[in-house]
Amino acid sequence: MEAIRARVDKVLAAVSIGLFVVLLVVVCWQVLSRQVLQTPAAWTEETARYLFVILALLSASLVFSERGHIAVEILMARFPVRVQKVVAVLVELLVIFFALYVLVLGGYRVAENSWNQGLSAIPVSVGQMYLVLPLAGVLITFYSLCHLRGLLRGTTGPVPEGDVVAADV
Amino acid sequence: MDTATLVALVLVGGMVLLIALGVPIAVAMGLPSAVATMVLLGWDGAALTSAQRLFSGSNSFALLAIPFFVLAGGLMNAGGLARRLIDFALVVAGRLPASLAQTTVVANTLFGAVSGASVASAAAVGSVLAPRMKEEGYDPAFSAAVNAAASPTGMLIPPSNTFIIYSLVSGTSVAALFMAGIGPGLLWSGICVLMVALYARKRPELRATERPTLRQGLLVLWRAVPALFMMVVVVGGILVGAFTATESAVIAVVYALVAGFATRTLKVGALPGVILEAAKTTAIVMLLIGVSGILAWVMSFARIPTLVSDAMLGLTDNKVLVLLMIMVVLLIAGTVMDPTPAILIFTPIFLPIVTGLGVSPIHFGAMMVFNMCLGNISPPVGNNLFVAARVAGVKVEPVIGRLMPMFYALTASLFIVTFVPELSMWLPEQLGLINAP
Amino acid sequence: GGEGAEASGGSGSGSEGGEGRALRLALNQTEQHPSYLALDSFGQRLSEATDDRWSIEVFANETLGAQAEALQLVSSGAVDMAIVSGTQLENLDEDFVVFNLPTVFDSVEQQMSVVNDPDVVGDLYSSLESSENITVVGGFTQGTRSVYTTDGPVETPEDLAGKKMRVQESDLHLSMMEAMGGSPTPLAFGEVYTALQSGVIDGAENNEVSYFTQKHHEVAPFYSRTNHLVGLDYLIINTGVLSEMSEEDRAAFDEEWTAAHEEHTQLWTEATEQAIADAEAAGATFSEVDTDAFNAVLEPLVDEFLTTDSQRALYDAARGN
Ligand code: NA
Ligand code: NA
Repeated sequence: MEAIRARVDKVLAAVSIGLFVVLLVVVCWQVLSRQVLQTPAAWTEETARYLFVILALLSASLVFSERGHIAVEILMARFPVRVQKVVAVLVELLVIFFALYVLVLGGYRVAENSWNQGLSAIPVSVGQMYLVLPLAGVLITFYSLCHLRGLLRGTTGPVPEGDVVAADV
Repeated sequence: MDTATLVALVLVGGMVLLIALGVPIAVAMGLPSAVATMVLLGWDGAALTSAQRLFSGSNSFALLAIPFFVLAGGLMNAGGLARRLIDFALVVAGRLPASLAQTTVVANTLFGAVSGASVASAAAVGSVLAPRMKEEGYDPAFSAAVNAAASPTGMLIPPSNTFIIYSLVSGTSVAALFMAGIGPGLLWSGICVLMVALYARKRPELRATERPTLRQGLLVLWRAVPALFMMVVVVGGILVGAFTATESAVIAVVYALVAGFATRTLKVGALPGVILEAAKTTAIVMLLIGVSGILAWVMSFARIPTLVSDAMLGLTDNKVLVLLMIMVVLLIAGTVMDPTPAILIFTPIFLPIVTGLGVSPIHFGAMMVFNMCLGNISPPVGNNLFVAARVAGVKVEPVIGRLMPMFYALTASLFIVTFVPELSMWLPEQLGLINAP
Repeated sequence: GGEGAEASGGSGSGSEGGEGRALRLALNQTEQHPSYLALDSFGQRLSEATDDRWSIEVFANETLGAQAEALQLVSSGAVDMAIVSGTQLENLDEDFVVFNLPTVFDSVEQQMSVVNDPDVVGDLYSSLESSENITVVGGFTQGTRSVYTTDGPVETPEDLAGKKMRVQESDLHLSMMEAMGGSPTPLAFGEVYTALQSGVIDGAENNEVSYFTQKHHEVAPFYSRTNHLVGLDYLIINTGVLSEMSEEDRAAFDEEWTAAHEEHTQLWTEATEQAIADAEAAGATFSEVDTDAFNAVLEPLVDEFLTTDSQRALYDAARGN
């Protein structure tokens, strides 16, 4: 399972970097086409917005792999390790419920609901874009299952070793 | 119990409980919001609506500025541009008493003007200056405290990702907000300079560092020009309207790339790592913004902002008292909350109240972000405080003791920002960025 | 009492027997906008006419979502009603493009008589019922749109040559501005003022009300009446909700809707006149253009966008052909 996770991490990291570069190129093109070529492109803004949501959701899934999302751990850190372990399992279960209910089920429902709703400037439907939601939900569930396994086996500590710099905006 | 009260209970109770358990804040906000939606719309309707709000909450062109400003900052740190800014700050502040402490303040201010965030600034400035301050006899806890206190200016001085997030939830102009942040940002730095000067009077042995020769000074200035010019490009470009905030962030990335390669301080091999870090940093924030879309929707649907507003205005409709109450609530929230979730949660509740009392949403943005900056250094949870302590190699507790006088002075200046609207509003008004009278 | 019923409802929670049903309506405008005012009094009259069995609660300022998302929420039943633009419906069913085209309407009056005439729009308005669970109730005008520029009035398409004109982000609007002679520049609405001021763009196109309320007249004082488009918003409602109405209540709903769009047109006309007077007082000039010259370049464009027989039939019906 850890081997699969390492591969998924690698793929997600590569996809994130790739999407980021494409995003950069698209917005550069928007500036360039308006300021320099004087022939503004219509598709750039919509494309950039949706690329960004996809990038954000996939990278956010990757951050779940590292348990890197901001959390307040000061309270839990004061409890005995046994309690911490139980709570850590509960936390992963809550994350799984959120991922399955909102991202997978809700994402599937909303994609189906808007499958025929076209976008204005690019030939894709809103529903197709929404498919990234269930994809992210599956990825996050997978990572949480990995953490659960680690917690139960004792190979994963109850409190993530977060890095505050990563939360900086 | 009516539905609105039930929804409010689910939201508040759920979020407090889950945050306390250490659930990632994005899930701790999103899950109770989805459950509250379930109360209103049933199982399937709530799933669909929550998913849609999460997606569309982050689907905004203005938010695109965030990944690019984060990446630009990462590129500056990976290359040597950040270091050159610090060298420049040393020359600027080198003649003042306790010059290294003053340099810390100046360097953080300069950093703030080229990057959209503030924790990175504390890390970069502290890791260079803290060891030197220790060598020259400064108390490491004090040097960490100065660095922590000075670093949040990056959130006030443009570019600022915090203002971009506020702009999204308040529907205000990013350009106007950026200009509104300059006054409070400089006030923040000014208070830090003042506090360091007061400290220096008690510690006369902390003299100025050796004076650089004119030649040395010019050389440092010359080497800092690429980094300094970035401010001109980014802020100037937005101001003259050549590009939007989002586009200016892309320009900043391209600029940091070109400047990094031109000065041979940036290596191609470092790029994938820098980009991935920027993607992850952004993703953390975007997920928060996405789930706050669910929260904001369910609050509106249940008319909760109206309830809070009625309750608050039932106590008093005196503008000064209402603003005081709001600022105190935000200060308390800021002790444990990060700026992004705090802005996302509280803006939809408080903004209608204050605009109803005649406060400009731009001015409210300035006071809110100033308040969030205080939260970033206030114990027990303060990102800038933690990072400043860590890069100085000291524990957080002694730093807090050294920080408190500066924290109190800065908190006092929050009331200047709140009750002297001109400090924030003068510049955007002069520049014609505020259309309404 | 009616108070408790307000917070309940929504398709999932079921309705409490005997109590009224408050329809939640998503609106993208402020509470001062003619659309809000007309919808709010629509709700009040509906409530009176149905003895509080039905009422409408308007959520202004996009708090329930922007138009594209509000459309999805009406379709799913999370929200009961919404005001959405013609472009939004065009994204679901291409027949709606007809009423978004230039030259299809000459005036607000003609537009309102067409888009609220069941003989013309009956099939169109029910076309989304089976696939999307959405019924179109009718239309609200968004006024005639014309161009405005920073450096002098426009009379013919040649006058727009080389001018960067802000348009909404869609193929139709880009092609339209190109046909009219300008260089189309898609830009977020909120950026237009600064862009005009700094010379990033040379002009834009909009109705008189937005022209004045957004203060664009301060930086682009020449408003030239090309009247190339008459903007249109639709009121949509969840089909399932509509079918829950008794025949009597449905009749009241339709009757009060007619009163609502008439009131809206009246409010819109007054707002337009006020905007023109205020803009003129602030130094803006409103000038006429060579209408034939603009029609000559726009008509081929219309042909290009009318690709099906049903679209052509709607166009002809609207034009009274
Ligand atoms: Na900044
Ligand atoms: Na804090």
